[in-house]
Amino acid sequence: MSLNRRDALRVLSQGAAGTATLAACGTAQASAKNRPIAPDRDAVGMLYDATICTGCKACVSACTSANGLVPDTVLSNGLWQMPQDLNAQTKNIIKLARGEDTAETSYVKRQCMHCLEPACVSGCPFGALMKRGTDGVVTWDADRCIGCRYCEVACPFEVPKFEWANFNPRIVKCELCSHRLADGGQPACTEVCPTHAVIFGTRSDLLAEAKARIERSPGRYFEDRVYGEKDGGGTQVLYLSGLPFANLGLPTLGEESVAAYGSKVHSVVYKWLALPLTLYVFLTAIIKRRFDSHEDHAQNKAKQTGLPSQL
Amino acid sequence: MLPWQRGVHVYDVPFFSLPFLIFLALTLIGLGLSVLRAFGGLGFTGMSDAYAWGIWKTFNVMTLTALGSGGFAIGIAAWIFKWERLHLVMRTALLTSFVFYFAGLLALTVDVGRPWNMWHLLFPSHWNPESSLLEVAVCMPLYAMIFLAYENLPPLWERLYVHASDGIRRAMRSVFPVLKWLYPFFVAGAYVLPAMHQSSLGALLLLSGDKLHPLWQSQMLPLLYVIQAGVAGTACVMVTLMAGCLVWRRRLDLTTLGDLGKLMGYISLLFLALRWGDIIARGQLGAAFTSDGFSVLFHVENLSVLVPTLFMLQPKQRRRPRVLFLSAVTAMLGAMMYRFIPTTIAFVPGELKFYFPSALEVLMSAGYVSLTIVLYTAAVKLFAIVPASLEEWYEAVAWARENFRTIRVDSHGKATRD
Repeated sequence: MSLNRRDALRVLSQGAAGTATLAACGTAQASAKNRPIAPDRDAVGMLYDATICTGCKACVSACTSANGLVPDTVLSNGLWQMPQDLNAQTKNIIKLARGEDTAETSYVKRQCMHCLEPACVSGCPFGALMKRGTDGVVTWDADRCIGCRYCEVACPFEVPKFEWANFNPRIVKCELCSHRLADGGQPACTEVCPTHAVIFGTRSDLLAEAKARIERSPGRYFEDRVYGEKDGGGTQVLYLSGLPFANLGLPTLGEESVAAYGSKVHSVVYKWLALPLTLYVFLTAIIKRRFDSHEDHAQNKAKQTGLPSQL
Repeated sequence: MLPWQRGVHVYDVPFFSLPFLIFLALTLIGLGLSVLRAFGGLGFTGMSDAYAWGIWKTFNVMTLTALGSGGFAIGIAAWIFKWERLHLVMRTALLTSFVFYFAGLLALTVDVGRPWNMWHLLFPSHWNPESSLLEVAVCMPLYAMIFLAYENLPPLWERLYVHASDGIRRAMRSVFPVLKWLYPFFVAGAYVLPAMHQSSLGALLLLSGDKLHPLWQSQMLPLLYVIQAGVAGTACVMVTLMAGCLVWRRRLDLTTLGDLGKLMGYISLLFLALRWGDIIARGQLGAAFTSDGFSVLFHVENLSVLVPTLFMLQPKQRRRPRVLFLSAVTAMLGAMMYRFIPTTIAFVPGELKFYFPSALEVLMSAGYVSLTIVLYTAAVKLFAIVPASLEEWYEAVAWARENFRTIRVDSHGKATRD
């Protein structure tokens, strides 16, 4: 298997913790199995260039019909689709963002980022949210979800939404039109985008394209960088923007994924349940001894007082 | 003053007292609403996609299972560190633990949106071993329903034996050695499992990342959570014991209660040292001394643990019932705050939203809290749980002789049936 940068980092940090290199490689493989990280060449995603987007929202309605969602018409008195934000009826949205001090505005498309190391997948107790090994798409499985909503607490982008009023509630989020990908197609939003502001491809191709655009037009893009290359451990949906990413509502994240931060201790403590089991055996040995002497003492006291002993 | 010697039933009070009936009514309302909720989703709650966890999880589970950690913390002190006197309050500790966990598990079941998929719990091959929530979901029911339930067996067993027919008694006598032999194995498990899931409750918050205020977000959360569970559990047992003595006019044993106070003080000291050490190590000391609400909250939370600790570490103060009670209540509230704040007030999602539980949500939550009170007060009236002096034991024996004609009780309290 190919190790990517994050795995390598994890191996290094565990090596530093005193683990033998061999064991560390095993650990990296084990955690890669728990949280399959699609290698760069297979991972697919999208590149959204906010400087090209005209805000036509063709992608929003295409997403709605491709995914069989009921359009959110609350704000328009039931007349047309007008979602305020991502919600249980909206997997993809175009919003208008404004700069901090300028009157400059920019459109921003929001949907699942398909993180390389998704927090939702890391926290999901029964693997309802899975990162697909083949292309790294984060999918949701209705038969495994217990509706705990930990994914909503965990997601740094606040993408997964829950059908609160439904008695059979589902987690709603972009699954990169995986049903269309299965037929050899592409996501509905990238297909309909008239200006190619959002395009579909492998992550490595998209990253190269984004970097080429930055090179071609220096100063056009904020910080001359691609959001999602490293942010939050890297995402499969990448962003280019003229305005600061924070203004578009994209959170400022470090290079370490939340999932890596959250499972650092857990993965060591619960590895093969070795630590809890050792502790159990150790405690049983102590308590067995204590229990016997305690019982002897109690029996003696019971004989003295004539009262039955109480445990 | 006579120290506590053994557990004695609460016997000279009506089973259905007025407060009991009020709590019972609240419980029934809560449970009734829980049944209705199964047909209607969670739309009636104040929860939203930004605040996906409401008070059922943050209060009834996160906060109240910490209060239910008395059996865990005091048990470790009694069994492992040979603090013999604390065995006297173990029955109370184990019972409070059980009722809090029972109600917490109920709240979790109601909170879960797709409970019909819970069967995956039974198949380890379906587990995501990386998930702290999985750890909680597996470990908590396992602890409460098997290990903690087993630890709670002796009082039940005693009562059963008194009322059983001779045949059943013979059977019980033959099974007893096996149950007794197994007891230490369950006790040991009852310390490993809470250590696991109480720390995992803290680990849950790690994934919330930057949404949690830096004064609380830390890799130390799991360790801090399990230690704070010890503070909360011990304080809760002290409060329960003293409130019980007050309500049922039992004598206080200040030596034993003082021991509990000392234990609480030690655990609190460890907690505070780690909490402040962590804040300093992460370079967040500045955040603790700003003028915003979070730093105020932080100090209120810390002081409510620190002040009682300072009192509980002085032997002279531990002899004063008033100080003992107020210290236990304050430390308990401080510990509850540490559990409640990170999942609610200090949890700030990017989307500007506000969470306040809906009336029905509060009513259901109150129902689960009432359930713990109802179960506890019913159990102490049925079983020999609340510790009392020998004198009170003999009074209880005399009372039983008077009132239960079918049960013969000899002068030592050994009961036989006609």
